Amino acid sequence: METEAQAKRILEEAKSETQETLERAAVEAQNVRQAAISHAEQQKAQILKDTRERAETDARSSDMETNSLLENYKKLFEERREVAVKKAVDLILGG
Amino acid sequence: MAESLDKLHNRILSDARLKAAETIRDAEEKAKRTLDEARAQAQRDADEILSKASLEAEGIRRSILSSRIRANRLRILDEKNKIVQNVLKSVEQKLSEVASTDQFQPTLKRFVTEAVDAIGMDDAVVRVGFYNADRKSLESLGRTFPRGTRLVVDENPIDDLGGVVASDAGGKMIFNNSFRARLERLDNQLLTTISSTIFGE
Repeated sequence: METEAQAKRILEEAKSETQETLERAAVEAQNVRQAAISHAEQQKAQILKDTRERAETDARSSDMETNSLLENYKKLFEERREVAVKKAVDLILGG
Repeated sequence: MAESLDKLHNRILSDARLKAAETIRDAEEKAKRTLDEARAQAQRDADEILSKASLEAEGIRRSILSSRIRANRLRILDEKNKIVQNVLKSVEQKLSEVASTDQFQPTLKRFVTEAVDAIGMDDAVVRVGFYNADRKSLESLGRTFPRGTRLVVDENPIDDLGGVVASDAGGKMIFNNSFRARLERLDNQLLTTISSTIFGE
């Protein structure tokens, strides 16, 4: 009787250990996934931040090119205005 | 008898230990599989998040740049338009002052001839009106017209800027050769001339 009880205890202890092992594995698996997702989300946030910053830099460069072009137009206008007016008047007069 | 009982006792315990060890080994293997699958799934999840992030980033970049480029194109168009409108204002000013220049008489004759030719009638009525035009010199122009053509001198510049309007005697057929009408007719050429002169395009 005592031997059977001892054998049964051995098996129950093994079962309990098994249960703990599987539970630990499940928790660890969950942690692994959460950690991976969390890390990926951080990387994503950084990628989007970097992208926005780079795009803003490029956009500022486009603004500067445009500003320079507009300045050039103003200069051209001052230089060529009289000629343009004369040509346009001649066109209307048809002479 | 006691010896065989001991053996049985030991065997029962040994079997139990073996079975326990096997159960634990199975559980450990299952736990390992669970973790391996979790790691693989975690990698897939991370890859998917980063792949979506990459697409989202491209969309953000395109959106920022295209809206800024569109805004800058509008600024350029707006500035060009302001410049062209400024030139056109000066052109209108010059045209309204044409009566006091050497170009006036030949221009007037040309405008009248064009308008009368367009009407194509012997009994055309020609109305002229310019800023600061000498009425006598306008009336003397009437003598150079084909027979049957009647000249009417307006006190005010025609269509605000001045010009010539010819019609048949009944007023059914009209050819407007005012500066304003010519500006509208030559609109495209005018814009091309101004743009190419100022911007070299």
